[in-house]
Amino acid sequence: MAVQGEAKVVTIVDDDELMRNALMGLLKAAGLPAMVFASAEEFLNSGLQHQTSCLIADIRMPGMSGLELQAKLNADHCSIPTIFITAHGCTKTRMEALRAGAVEFLTKPFDNAVLLQHVRAAMEA
Amino acid sequence: MDASRDTGTESHRGGSPYTRSLSKTITKPLQHVALGYGLSLLLMAAAFGLSQAFLHFHLPLPFTSFALCAIAIAFWYAGIRPGIFAAVLAAVLRFFFFEPGLPVISRLIYGLVFAIFAVLMIEATRAKNELEVRVAERTAALNEANQNLRHEIEERKRAEENLRRSETYLREAQGLSHIGSWAFNATGPVYWSEENFRIWGFDPQQGLPRRETILERIHPEDRDNVVMNVRNAVRDGKDASAEFRIVLPNGEVRYIHGVIHPTLNANGELDEVVGTQIDVTERKRAEQEHERLRQLESDLARVERITTMGELTASLAHELNQPIAAAAVDASTCITWLTRERPDVEEATQAATRIVSAATRAAEIISRVRSMFTKGTTEWSLLDVNEVVREIVRLLQSELMRHSISVQMTLGEDLPNIMGDRVQIQQVLMNLIVNSIEAMKELNGRRELAIRSQRGDRQDILVSVSDTGPGLRQGADRIFDAFFTTKPHGTGMGLRISHSIVESHGGRLWAANNSPQGAVFHLSLPAAVDTAL
Repeated sequence: MAVQGEAKVVTIVDDDELMRNALMGLLKAAGLPAMVFASAEEFLNSGLQHQTSCLIADIRMPGMSGLELQAKLNADHCSIPTIFITAHGCTKTRMEALRAGAVEFLTKPFDNAVLLQHVRAAMEA
Repeated sequence: MDASRDTGTESHRGGSPYTRSLSKTITKPLQHVALGYGLSLLLMAAAFGLSQAFLHFHLPLPFTSFALCAIAIAFWYAGIRPGIFAAVLAAVLRFFFFEPGLPVISRLIYGLVFAIFAVLMIEATRAKNELEVRVAERTAALNEANQNLRHEIEERKRAEENLRRSETYLREAQGLSHIGSWAFNATGPVYWSEENFRIWGFDPQQGLPRRETILERIHPEDRDNVVMNVRNAVRDGKDASAEFRIVLPNGEVRYIHGVIHPTLNANGELDEVVGTQIDVTERKRAEQEHERLRQLESDLARVERITTMGELTASLAHELNQPIAAAAVDASTCITWLTRERPDVEEATQAATRIVSAATRAAEIISRVRSMFTKGTTEWSLLDVNEVVREIVRLLQSELMRHSISVQMTLGEDLPNIMGDRVQIQQVLMNLIVNSIEAMKELNGRRELAIRSQRGDRQDILVSVSDTGPGLRQGADRIFDAFFTTKPHGTGMGLRISHSIVESHGGRLWAANNSPQGAVFHLSLPAAVDTAL
């Protein structure tokens, strides 16, 4: 995936193709560069973690979950500001994610503007 | 005179052996002829000796009397011939020793007297012999009767023993089977078996219970019914049976199954009523327990169904949420493109197209759910097993994801269709997959669900669902039983329902341990005939 030299890329990890494409379209409309992965493993294997300035990840995915991905990145000393999106707004999961350093925890369906606001904030941080 | 004296001493000397032989003859009749004659001789010698003694002491001449006695005794004990011999001997002795000077006529008269006496004695002896024969006959008859009687007594004893044994067996049998028997007539009870006493809790020592006492012991709700039943049976002379409860003094309730049989006499009047009473309490309790279990089973089946529905609903909600959320994002994006200063129609169109596919996906989910829950009887149709597998996996996708279970599907190509009810086959697969999820969700380590389909050897389709859970540790042969569960919240009905569904499709469902770990469930379904050919 072609990425600009400076690490200003948003990475989307979601197993659902519809959601991946929708988020891609959203970021494109917002003028933000983005790349997509269908699973956490795919993302980790790509070696593009360090070029990611903001991560949008689904919580529930086959194989490694969003939270596990976050934990793995933290362990690899590669903390990325992460926005979780999930169908289940379970408080416990939400707290867990935020404690682990998540920027935001959004429940589907969410407001595009809110998401973009968090993405921009994360990228400028 | 000298001679008579001599014979007198001779007679005295011979007295003692004579009495000895006489005492013998009393106990034992003379057998030998010589003995008979000897006896006659002796008797006459005694008569002669005594007469001589009489002569010697100047007593009146008694020879005739003695001779007659001797003749009589000879006849009696020795028989007819020795008797005649004695009579002849008496005549000769008289002739030579006593009053030899008598005229011929007197001698003839004397001879005649002896002869007549002999004839009388002959008759008497004959009569005696006849009597003896008759006595012997009678004795034999008596002996026989005695023998018969003794035989009869033995027979009676044996019969009594048999009766006693038979009674013991009956008592044992009644005790074992809890069957009591009884009989009553117009005046009240006439017989109660030991077991009947036990069943009703009466003391046999106190005799037969009175009618009122018996009625008191019957459960108040059943009493009238029992009385009416008995009355009708007696009136119609027909057998009757009834089930009722009795309440023992300690409050224990027993269930009795009673049967009565009225016996009528020749005039059609009631003679006696015999009956049995079976203690069916245990059976009744077992029946109630069975009914309770059956109720529980049906409740559980319903709960299971509701639970499955609940799981399904949660799963569907999640699945529907995905395209809706995506559509919302896309719609928003579309608006963004269109509301720019310079609207980008191409990008907006792309976003709108994505909305269409998201909406289409949502519609598909809805239609799938509808087909799954279409009410009605089982609908048999040609099914593509792979398609059913894919549908269910898609349906349970979110559940699988929630527990981070990866799915590996190896579905055989060009498999023949099967004939079956789509919803039921879906249910079976769902049960198997949900089981696998349950088995793996607590697992630390690899969580992998593998589903394979292939063509079997016997015109059938084989589907296997394997997991990497703990496997079937125990009771692998019992897992299809109702209520068997190893799950803390399981009802133990899922696999049983699956099993019966598969069987109703002419297929088989079995389980085994997977290597290196986990369990594998195998499902075999017969290929539909028209496509298998």
